Amino acid sequence: MKGLSLVLAIAFFVIAVLYWTGTLQIATHEPGPHHKHAVLFAGLGILCLIWFRFQSASPSRVR
Amino acid sequence: MTFLQAMLLAVLQGFSELFPISSLGHTVLIPALLHWNIDLASPSFLSFVVVLHLGTALALLVFYWREWRGIALAFAGSIVRGRFSGSTDEKTAWLLVAGTIPVGLLGLFFESEVRGLFASPIPVALFLAANGLVMFAGEWLKRKDDGQRALVSLSYVDGVKVGFAQAFALLPGISRSGTAMVASLLMNLSEAEAARFSFLLGTPVILAAGLLEVPRLLDPAAHLALVQSVLGGVLSAITAYISLAFLTRYFRSNDLRPFGWYCLGAGMICFILFFSGIVKA
Repeated sequence: MKGLSLVLAIAFFVIAVLYWTGTLQIATHEPGPHHKHAVLFAGLGILCLIWFRFQSASPSRVR
Repeated sequence: MTFLQAMLLAVLQGFSELFPISSLGHTVLIPALLHWNIDLASPSFLSFVVVLHLGTALALLVFYWREWRGIALAFAGSIVRGRFSGSTDEKTAWLLVAGTIPVGLLGLFFESEVRGLFASPIPVALFLAANGLVMFAGEWLKRKDDGQRALVSLSYVDGVKVGFAQAFALLPGISRSGTAMVASLLMNLSEAEAARFSFLLGTPVILAAGLLEVPRLLDPAAHLALVQSVLGGVLSAITAYISLAFLTRYFRSNDLRPFGWYCLGAGMICFILFFSGIVKA
């Protein structure tokens, strides 16, 4: 799971960069950069890094 | 948009964003009923709405200032430690994260399509009436036999479910705070606790809705009237604060049914007026 969280984090950050630069146009309405999409995916990337952090520390008491 | 219209919209936003009666629905219906010649999609109007959202978010942050401080510290502490301590503030923080992800994702990908399809008075009136029925359903279906739970007894999956319920508010006429409260009631929270969760959960959503649109304020096409916008934001913040003070007190001993009656009545009346052509949609 540690590996998965790190892979997901990297994937989300890459997607965020692609939306920010306007390279990625999936689920968008007009061409060009999509900063809101980028911010959201960067947020998801950060959450995945936090998930990674939680798995690195021990003992975990996730409920 | 005249100065008076702007101030009335600011007051409307401040009240209706937190009352479970759909602010977006009212923003569509009231100008249509009063024959206000406002282009709801124009850059200047959208910029004005950004300021109103920021005002409402500010009121939420100020009203729950102590809670937000505790939540933020507990949230940061859990990340630094890399594990959960089990504190109330920390559980609340992660419930808010769990509840915000669904509405964030769904809002980003479907908001424009959904609002483009339904943001005209007739469907909005129907959704407002449906919102009233949702309020009644929540009160009818909530469990009345067991003791009521505290917010921190919810699981993170429950938090995600409430987040999905909030996302129904992408439909103009459906209330975000209303659907979040109903979902919380179905998980056996009390009205007061459900309202608190709904308001806390609404803060990042409303704040993000405002902050992510801040670039609109810098758009040269926006022609934002500075005095009008600042006063509108302040008025929206004041009315939102008054709404919070009222609603947190109200839900200690009352339920959602009066708002259900209001939404059902207002929605049906608006539908009849617009559908029959008495008021031009």
